[in-house]
Amino acid sequence: MFKNKADKLWYGFIAVAFILPFVPGVIGGSFFGHVATMILLYAAMAQSWNIISGYCGQTSFGHSVFFGIGAYGAALAVVNFNSLPWYGAPLGMLAAAAVSVVISYPCFKLKGHYFAIATFAIVEIFNRLFMIWDTIGGALGLDYPILPDGWKNFSWSDTKNGYYLGALAIFILVFSVVRWIERHRMGYYLRAVREGQETAESLGVNSAVVKLSAMALSASLAALCGAFFAQYNYRVDPPMVMSLDMSMKFVLITILGGIGTFWGPFLGALVLIPLQEYTRAYLSHLGAGVDLMIFGLIIIIVMIKQPLGIMGLIRYFTKRKVAKGEGDA
Amino acid sequence: MLIRKRSTIAVLMVLALSLMICSSAFAADKVIKIGALFPLTGPAAVSGQNCVNSVLAAADVINKANPDINAPLAAKEGLLNGYKIEIVKADHQGKPDVAKSEAERLYNQEKVFAVIGSYNSSATKPASAVAERAKKIFMCGCSSSAALTERDYKYFFRHAPTDAIESKEFVEYIEYLNKEKKAGIKTLGLIYENTEFGKHAAEEAHKAAKHSGLKVVADVPFNNGATNLNSEVQTLKAANPDAVFGAALGGDYSLWVRTMKQVNWLPKIAINYCTGYQNPAVQKELAGDGDYFMGGMGYSPELAKTFMPEAIKIEKKYYTPRSNQPFDSDSIQEGVMLFVLAQAIEKAGSLDTEKVAQILRTEEFPSVMSLSGKVKFEPGGQNVHALSVITQIKDLDYKTVFPLKYQKAEPVFPMTPWDKR
Repeated sequence: MFKNKADKLWYGFIAVAFILPFVPGVIGGSFFGHVATMILLYAAMAQSWNIISGYCGQTSFGHSVFFGIGAYGAALAVVNFNSLPWYGAPLGMLAAAAVSVVISYPCFKLKGHYFAIATFAIVEIFNRLFMIWDTIGGALGLDYPILPDGWKNFSWSDTKNGYYLGALAIFILVFSVVRWIERHRMGYYLRAVREGQETAESLGVNSAVVKLSAMALSASLAALCGAFFAQYNYRVDPPMVMSLDMSMKFVLITILGGIGTFWGPFLGALVLIPLQEYTRAYLSHLGAGVDLMIFGLIIIIVMIKQPLGIMGLIRYFTKRKVAKGEGDA
Repeated sequence: MLIRKRSTIAVLMVLALSLMICSSAFAADKVIKIGALFPLTGPAAVSGQNCVNSVLAAADVINKANPDINAPLAAKEGLLNGYKIEIVKADHQGKPDVAKSEAERLYNQEKVFAVIGSYNSSATKPASAVAERAKKIFMCGCSSSAALTERDYKYFFRHAPTDAIESKEFVEYIEYLNKEKKAGIKTLGLIYENTEFGKHAAEEAHKAAKHSGLKVVADVPFNNGATNLNSEVQTLKAANPDAVFGAALGGDYSLWVRTMKQVNWLPKIAINYCTGYQNPAVQKELAGDGDYFMGGMGYSPELAKTFMPEAIKIEKKYYTPRSNQPFDSDSIQEGVMLFVLAQAIEKAGSLDTEKVAQILRTEEFPSVMSLSGKVKFEPGGQNVHALSVITQIKDLDYKTVFPLKYQKAEPVFPMTPWDKR
């Protein structure tokens, strides 16, 4: 049934993750349910960034713009049009893809660090634009009304099971897209562009089309995560979703887990999100940001000891084990 | 040896477990947990810490026997025949999404009876939405966005005057100055942080100004946590309004005042909403540069001497030892909300949320830490007795200048220019 070990791991993970909300007391209304939902959401967000920055090598610090457009898509549908988030989310994804193509086309002409710097500026531009755009709430943002619980409104008050399953669905979608890319011609094109654009072009790869397609795909998936984020928090405003702070979360999680790898974004989220949530929840009462200090310290230690992230650490130990096995033989 | 070590570990584990079970049982028996959700880190951390200290001071008054304090629930220990209040602190970092998840954690994991918070209006909104959905009580002390009590929530109660109330009062004060003191104030400038709080304050200022015929000649938003307000202040200076209404919290307030000094400009009067103006620590940091500015306040040590003597006792006994400063207009209101909630619980005679909420909706509560001396909530949760006065600061002393009933000093206006201080 499963072609290889990677397939077994993937389908096994989905099976276990899917069962969790059906085990009494595991997700429900618990804080663990919130943390588990956030791990899945942030892993999917980081994976969407990994497509353009990890696989294609175009470091973007502007993904919070696409995330924000998705969040506004869902929120506008619910708050301004009294409609359902199910209509707003796909429209947000389309809008994010379109915006990403429009802003990336000129930016892709920049090389190396200049592209990254340009994406920084784009976050600020969109943040200011949304802050003064009163039709979509401006600085006041959009607050959800209290709606009946259920899948129709994608809203639950006393349980996280629905949100968890929603986040899991997004996680599976985004990771499946990347699995497909890894095995498809597109994946080879992306990696070829990352390793050397001129060389790839000399072999017949249309780098402009490849980069724009990857960016559009990456942006639309980030937007889907944004739509979930708005639903989960009943609110959206520009600093919440369209900020450098949010952009850095995409980057940090992926780099910590292992950039350009399939499991890296998940591992990064698996370490960072519980660390962030539990230190804040159980240490913030000490005041003076003790939780943030511990959080920062752990990140520094991990990055100094293993700059290739957790995936690098796993590979290091796997190689050592194999080498030791060969030595023993 | 190994067996002995293992037995010791087992015994210790059993002991620890029994201790945990016993303590949780005690906790379940005699403690009412109340969440205190404030920004304990981030740009508004100092104000958030003050708010928590105020809630802790109120809890001390309720939990301990304080026959020297003439306030409801102060004389005897605890409430409901022996229950003590336990404050569970939580930090929302000034972020709405964190406020929402922390409110959920407080209600679902910590099993708090109610939450008090959350200073930033943008954080109070999603946190109180969690409470409303779960039909749990949310007590809000000082968040001033009028929108909070326009949602028809049933479990949300707010003590502070809204931006709408304060805007009206500021304009009334200008009308008084024009009529009685021939101040000649005809134009208005607005400078505010571009957030839920600042934007709402500006909207209400526009409405009040229009109503009284004041012309708004400058409307200047800025991003909170700014590192430079030069262009914003230059815009104000270019428009040269007679009066300025400001809505800048904490560090932003200091930056605004210092930038005004840098560009050597002042309007005739500058009045502030619930902002850094009210924080004595911020004024101390400004070292006199904040003098002659004005602001709406519900508390000052000077006001308290005449109208809130019991608040001074509470301040000296339980608040100042924690905060190293007197109450400020924001923090004191958070403590008030714990007093009001405790009185409602005592009247309900039980921890039935519906009963307590119903009492909060219908009854009037005496409040020794409120300027009006009483608290009553209208539908939507706004305190109908919310009151603030306009003060002017000089040498770290807040002097009440309006309304005349509370006036302690004549206002100094126009503001003394920077080069004549």
